[in-house]
Amino acid sequence: MNASVQTIAPRPIVRPGAWLWRGGLLGIWLLLLIFIVYPLLMLLSRAFLDDGHLSLQALGAAITAPKNLRALGNSLLLATMVGVAGTLLGLVFAFTVERVRSAGRLARLIDFFTFLPLISPPFTTSIAFVFSFGPRGLITYELLGIKNVQVYGLTSTFAAETLTYFPIAYLALRPMLASISTSLEEAAFSLGGSRWHAFRTVTLPLVIPALANAFLLLFGCSLADFATPLILAGSDFSVLPTEAYLQITGMFDLKSGAILSLLLLVPAGLVFYTQERLVAGRSYVTVTGKAGVLAQHDSVSGIAGAALLGFCLLVSALIVYFYLLLFYASIVLAFGANHTLTLDHYRVIFSEGLPAIRDTLIIALIGMPLGGIYGIAIGYLVGRTTFISRKAMEVVSMLNYALPGTIVGIAYLLAFNDEPLALTGTAAILIACYVFRYSPIGIRTTVALLQQIDKSMEEASASLGAGSLVTFRRIMLPLILPAFFAGLGVVFIRSMTAISATIFLVSINWTLITVKILENMTEVALGPAAAFSVFVIVVVVLVTSLLNVLLQRLTAPSLRVGRIGA
Amino acid sequence: MAAQSIAIRLQGISAVFHHERRGDITAVKNLDLEVRPGEFLTLLGASGCGKTTTLRVIAGFQKPSSGRILFGDEDVTGLAANQRDIGFVFQNYALFPHLSVFENVAYGLRVKRQGAALIESSVDAGLRQVGLSGMGDRMINELSGGQQQRVALARAIAIRPRVLLFDEPLSNLDAQLRVQMRSEIVRLQKELAITTIYVTHDQEEAMAISDRIAIMDGGLIAQVGSAEELYLRPASRFVAGFLGSANLLRGTVVAVAATMTSIDILGHRWELAANNPVAAGRPVDAVIRPEALTLAKEGAGPRGRVESRTYYGDKAEYLVRVGTDLVQAVQWNPSADDAFSEGDLVCVKLPASNVQLLAVD
Repeated sequence: MNASVQTIAPRPIVRPGAWLWRGGLLGIWLLLLIFIVYPLLMLLSRAFLDDGHLSLQALGAAITAPKNLRALGNSLLLATMVGVAGTLLGLVFAFTVERVRSAGRLARLIDFFTFLPLISPPFTTSIAFVFSFGPRGLITYELLGIKNVQVYGLTSTFAAETLTYFPIAYLALRPMLASISTSLEEAAFSLGGSRWHAFRTVTLPLVIPALANAFLLLFGCSLADFATPLILAGSDFSVLPTEAYLQITGMFDLKSGAILSLLLLVPAGLVFYTQERLVAGRSYVTVTGKAGVLAQHDSVSGIAGAALLGFCLLVSALIVYFYLLLFYASIVLAFGANHTLTLDHYRVIFSEGLPAIRDTLIIALIGMPLGGIYGIAIGYLVGRTTFISRKAMEVVSMLNYALPGTIVGIAYLLAFNDEPLALTGTAAILIACYVFRYSPIGIRTTVALLQQIDKSMEEASASLGAGSLVTFRRIMLPLILPAFFAGLGVVFIRSMTAISATIFLVSINWTLITVKILENMTEVALGPAAAFSVFVIVVVVLVTSLLNVLLQRLTAPSLRVGRIGA
Repeated sequence: MAAQSIAIRLQGISAVFHHERRGDITAVKNLDLEVRPGEFLTLLGASGCGKTTTLRVIAGFQKPSSGRILFGDEDVTGLAANQRDIGFVFQNYALFPHLSVFENVAYGLRVKRQGAALIESSVDAGLRQVGLSGMGDRMINELSGGQQQRVALARAIAIRPRVLLFDEPLSNLDAQLRVQMRSEIVRLQKELAITTIYVTHDQEEAMAISDRIAIMDGGLIAQVGSAEELYLRPASRFVAGFLGSANLLRGTVVAVAATMTSIDILGHRWELAANNPVAAGRPVDAVIRPEALTLAKEGAGPRGRVESRTYYGDKAEYLVRVGTDLVQAVQWNPSADDAFSEGDLVCVKLPASNVQLLAVD
């Protein structure tokens, strides 16, 4: 008689073998400690330790310095403006696509145009801005004939960031609007309210949590954005990420750079925390398969609908214009001076620029599978199993993703410059940075997928005689494979386009296309910069399209996975 | 062919869950149960009564905190689900969405490394048995709910398990399909002679398909027996009220003889041909089914006033006030001629048999 009384923890009986399990868990914790916790500790100790003693002197000096306070204030101002404007723009786009009947056929087109900024290298909009509104800009100089125009400053940075990041708000808001049944608006309308009244009193209150979420997303993006201010902000309008970068690369002052980057941490942490609370706490939305795409109810009058659609098309046209301009600049001799068609710039990037292209592709291609595996491994552990440090693992694995790139970059620089882990100058440091910074999206996709896969799936397999390893290999793995590909896609896109963290980590041996673009911009070699950008966009579009096709083929029909790049 | 049918025995099974806020919760309390070889036994109860937990303990998805589980003479308590040789049909079907119908049914056979030819013939036979011949190439999302349930059934029996376990398998189907599927399940079970445990909260379903029913309440088995035994001779007020509807009338035992018991009930002396566990002079509850009572314009017996009449087509239900008691009576095949209206004075005719007496503590 087995009389031992034991408490049943809700842990699955089906689980990979014990040794594999323990080893895997230990290995992942080791990686997290080395590549996430250790660098951040190094950053903190550099900022707050003087000769082994805790000292807040440097911090005090930093936050009272007028220059730094101005940078912090500028960062917050810019982020607030971008958050508000981008959210509004995103709402207009989402509302138009979901609720204006005549937008139906144009929705795919609008989707594509708003997709472009999400997969472009960070300077794309900024470069196009300079081409368009700079001293020799197409609009300011060629069309309007204004001389000595001042493009650099808050206005340009704000406009460029808004155009770059509003698609994130659009993507966050559109499913929310789609899930709010138009019958609610019909109900309000039938009770005698006007359409505007119905929107204001029914639809808008329902999307308020989503709006807040979109604002926070954009606020975070702008706060952490390094590339746009570097090109467009100019010397008078300094922000924290660029200020920290200049401290380190210009003054070789690692300590000040570290402290400046940590100033970013306060608002960034607040944003992340609020957002998590918001998403967890308040959502009126239930996910249901929405049948027909055609809205039966006219949420807006014909004229208002036409105006909204017109506005969206205008903004889309502006985006298209920027990209065409970028392409045009890449195939003329000297934009603004000599518009003779040439392939010279492409010759340059494929000869002098070839090492950067080769390095970037190697790093992206190595990082891709590593990031994909890392993503589903942690996703499975966090989403499907129970162990003592599960919650801690979930939080730690998200850190590098939640933190602004500047913080992560400086932390890596401090951690891996010396023994025992001297990785500076190698490809490994760049790969590690991308994998640990961008795989969390793969982790989240895995967790989201696992939530759709009922536990009875594993039990069914067990009841048919399958051991835990067989169940994992034949049932769970095929079902979470889409998350693997989603993880691959994100790591690839970011490896091709990101700069804020890795700008600190490139070396003579290993450099990146994005860094080359920045160099070209500062040397006013605009042609190669444009050609590099075009090249990156083409490669990313090709690879993500390929992965999306794979994703659709591989996803079991009843499961839902988001598009890569979204 | 199916192996020899085996008995399933549960001895002193308890299952405790740990809840974050409410602490330990005992879902199943020291439960004993014996399922006979080849028998179709249903665990019937309201949600939260522990029936699903019991089934999951038998399957091996959950470890009991104490007790033993025996399949035949083999103690399987320490075995994981994949070593118990069971077939489990889930409420949500739990079909593998990335595999075809054929591969779903073949899954257990592939795990057991059967030969390709045997797998092919077994799967074909299984699909034929559930009426899905020729559908092997379909994907799961191309099937209706009823078809998915059939695939789940075929998958469970394809491995010729020792034991077949069902967890509310029909609750996601519409009423008509449910009736059709349950007779198919019974037919298959008899054909294969696999000892079967079936969990449901639907008493009609339980009565229609089971050899025996175990009614569960609060982690305990309230009573086990055939549908007829449970309906006619409920052992407790709970069972009487749970299965069908019942009038529970409080009375006093007046005299007890060998084959006759007289009791006072509804202010009336009543001679019953009933086995009486209660001594003379003690209070008693009489369980009387509404359809056992008849109403008459006049005659001997307690008199009452009709409070309401509800017409259902095949029957009419009356609520009659007798003194302080409210009595429910059903009249089958009702017609306008023998109908009573609200406010009518009627005589309630008590039956002489089909009455169960329960001792009052």
